[in-house]
Amino acid sequence: MRTGAALGTPRAAPAEGRWRSLITQESVTTVLASLVIAVVVLLPLATMVVSSFRVLDGFGFSAHWGMDNYRAMVNDRIIAKAFLNTLIISTGSTLLATVLGVSLAWINARTNCPWREKLEPYNLVPFFLSPFVGAIAWHDLASPKIGLLNAWARDYLGVQGHLLNVDNIYGIIWVTGIFFTPLVYLFVVGSLRRMDPSLEDSARTTGAGLLRTTLTVTLPLVLPGILSGAIIVFVTSAGEFGVPFKLGTPYGWETLTTQIFSKAVGDDANYFMGAAMSMSLGVITAFLVWVQQRIIAPREFTTVTGKGFRPNVIDLGKWKWLALGYNLAFVLFAVVIPLLGLLIVSLHPVWQGRIIPADLTLQNYARVLFWWQGNHIQAATNGIGNSIILAFAGATIAMALAIPVSYMIHRTKGYGSRMLDFLCVVPIGFPGIVLAMGVLITYIKTPIYATLWILLLGYITRFFPYGQRNISSIMLAISEELDQSSRMAGASWFTTLKRVTLPLLKPGIFAGWVLLFIIFLRELPISIILYSSGTETLSVGVYYLSNFENEPLTAALSIVQTVILLVCIVVFRRLAGREALTA
Amino acid sequence: MTQDNPAAAYLNVRGLVKRFGNDRAVDDISFGIHQGGFLTLLGPSGCGKTTTLMCIAGLHHLDAGEIRVGDATYTSFATGVFMPPEKRDIGMVFQSYAIWPHMTVAQNVAYPLDIRKVERTEIDERVNKVLQLVGLGDMADKLATQLSGGQQQRAALARAIVFRPRLLLFDEPLSNLDLKLREQMRIELKRIQREVGITSVYVTHDQAEALVMSDEIIVMSKGRIEQRGGPRDIYGQPVNRYVSNFIGVANLLEGHVVRVTAPGQGEFEVNHGNQRVLLPCRLGEGLGAGSTALLSVRPENVHATRDKEADPCLEGEVLQSIFLGNCLDCRVLWGDFEWKVLAHPRARLRAGERVFLRLDPEHTLAVQP
Repeated sequence: MRTGAALGTPRAAPAEGRWRSLITQESVTTVLASLVIAVVVLLPLATMVVSSFRVLDGFGFSAHWGMDNYRAMVNDRIIAKAFLNTLIISTGSTLLATVLGVSLAWINARTNCPWREKLEPYNLVPFFLSPFVGAIAWHDLASPKIGLLNAWARDYLGVQGHLLNVDNIYGIIWVTGIFFTPLVYLFVVGSLRRMDPSLEDSARTTGAGLLRTTLTVTLPLVLPGILSGAIIVFVTSAGEFGVPFKLGTPYGWETLTTQIFSKAVGDDANYFMGAAMSMSLGVITAFLVWVQQRIIAPREFTTVTGKGFRPNVIDLGKWKWLALGYNLAFVLFAVVIPLLGLLIVSLHPVWQGRIIPADLTLQNYARVLFWWQGNHIQAATNGIGNSIILAFAGATIAMALAIPVSYMIHRTKGYGSRMLDFLCVVPIGFPGIVLAMGVLITYIKTPIYATLWILLLGYITRFFPYGQRNISSIMLAISEELDQSSRMAGASWFTTLKRVTLPLLKPGIFAGWVLLFIIFLRELPISIILYSSGTETLSVGVYYLSNFENEPLTAALSIVQTVILLVCIVVFRRLAGREALTA
Repeated sequence: MTQDNPAAAYLNVRGLVKRFGNDRAVDDISFGIHQGGFLTLLGPSGCGKTTTLMCIAGLHHLDAGEIRVGDATYTSFATGVFMPPEKRDIGMVFQSYAIWPHMTVAQNVAYPLDIRKVERTEIDERVNKVLQLVGLGDMADKLATQLSGGQQQRAALARAIVFRPRLLLFDEPLSNLDLKLREQMRIELKRIQREVGITSVYVTHDQAEALVMSDEIIVMSKGRIEQRGGPRDIYGQPVNRYVSNFIGVANLLEGHVVRVTAPGQGEFEVNHGNQRVLLPCRLGEGLGAGSTALLSVRPENVHATRDKEADPCLEGEVLQSIFLGNCLDCRVLWGDFEWKVLAHPRARLRAGERVFLRLDPEHTLAVQP
């Protein structure tokens, strides 16, 4: 690139030179990654929108264009009811999770409740477990006939019939609410810890008491965090499939997700109707997530500065024991009691609501684990293997994509980076079952249908933003000058990526990978739509056992899944320190 | 702006324009610098100095103009040439130092040589030598995070010069250091730059830094060059209000030139109450009889005495007098104008006193308003 040569070239050369300067390692990599994301995210959504206007005729052979599918949302008795149930369940779980999450976060962050540091990780455990397994556990504990707690109530308290019943809309709210409590907790606890204590101190100096300060200063300041958490819980509950499927569907309580499922795989399969229902659910959730991301989240940091403060700790006096009891009760009801119940049930050949010590056996575990034995259950053994493959491959591919995508969002400017930032939020707005419906319709006629690839595609489409956000948070924290100085030292873009950027991003990449690995190990709503015989996943295995085999086998595989998840959490926390797995 | 001979200049920037959206961050500027020179781009934040530096480094694309070093074209908008930053052979010291936290000091400094596939033994030797030069000889195996700000600064400099680049760029490298260290590092940086003899472009908003270190200073504002010259020229002969105010402190009086007495000299007229006062002065570029202008006098060139010594003399009242050790910082009210005066500490001027001000005609300058 000497001047003489540049000046000596003919007139056509400038344009060519300009083109060549645009084709760099950086632009090629980031543009390719962005195109992949754009296609992966937008194609299923577009297909779904188009399909939802196709109306299947009575025989299910041909279709025409029309609005009939959407009319059914209002007119069809079952679907309209399911819509209503979804709203009731989401509202109920949101209220429950918000009350529990905010109170637990406040106890942990701002009071002298004993053992609060030790209890914190246990408050978060439900976040990493499968709500579907939670529903199975509560069914075994508190269903009218076979529920262990009801049997005890009959035997020891002389109750007629049953004391508790979770096989209804209230049971669904209960299980969903306690499982999503950690979501609110995480949104609120950070703001409470990082709040400038002088904000509260100045309220106290004006003469406001402790209660008044808490109600008029502290809570309003964390309100954006609370609202964010509540919206995410509402959206997640509306998209939850496992809990209503276990506790609702068999007892006449349908939700939109269980209805979408029946339109995708049931005897009355109607993809177009499924697409219309998915769209309706997706529009609501996407709107709410938009409100959270664009209106509420930006306000979270205006009152809470980033400085490291020691927050005010409130002395609860003897009430601190009540706070401890409350926190222990949450851990007991959310984690310990359900898992104990599952364990007890899983050790019986058949479950009739009674512990029979003479019958205890490990036979159920052998049947779901030992694939070499003749009486093993294929859906379970396949599921374990497939889930590990999917979790490993999915987390790895998603993070590999997330690196150039985050790079483009944070290190380049212009239309492309803003567009990509938007694309990375879109999948968060759509429940897994909705995106899965789109993926199914899009790829059903391609060779990847009925393979693990379609599941992989569904997982990555839905969850890669979670991994991307882990990288983004670190990328925002490290100065761009660290990259630039490597370029100035003579390193190409790739060399800089390899020797400077990636080593610095390692903690974020690892944290994101682990989060995705765990999410994929327990994933149900996408898997249930996209699996076929041979490509079952762990959660699909649990679903299969629950539907076609007995409770103890279901409980056994549920315990296996829970143990795998808990082991992963413990191992990864050891490897990565406390920070990992809290976001 | 002085004229360059483009052929003699080593670094050559011509007609540089850089836009961010509709905002012209750098608006058609040109300058050059001879080999081994030390040029400073001086101006407040947002004046386009860092953007100019980034364009030279190749970290920004430009919207018009050309940048050449020696006989190599780095960027030329007209011919579409854009040399990627890693091919430019430029050493750069960043504001945040940008020392990589996952490497030791020696690894940081060895990195550019590593990239250039220099042999191991030679790398060790050169890294050692350059660490000695910057005074980090015994820090080689420390992690970057274990260094203090000043040491990171030295490591960043070592990394920028170890591969003997064609050009050295500094982006406000001292702005994160405390005052004492900053003053020490100015001298140190200049010594090292002179020793290695690499042509340097230095960006800062600190006028003292610019005066101490530079062979040549370019004062920028709003993406344009206000004045270019040696430190003495910039301080002694600012061309306008902006430069007078930005470099040092100046008394600025509005008025106009009444006549030219000799080439480059004249008389300046100011209104004082309903009187008109004539002051002899030197004339800045482009000023002649009748031009509206601004009189610029540095506080150290205003002499305050209790007795009337010469004519013209301005009689005023001392408003305040602050003892600063090596001088007295005084404010003297003359009509409705407040003179800033630096007086000798033994002058013992007190607030409320009547004093006479004498302006040194040699250092009284009429400039463009």
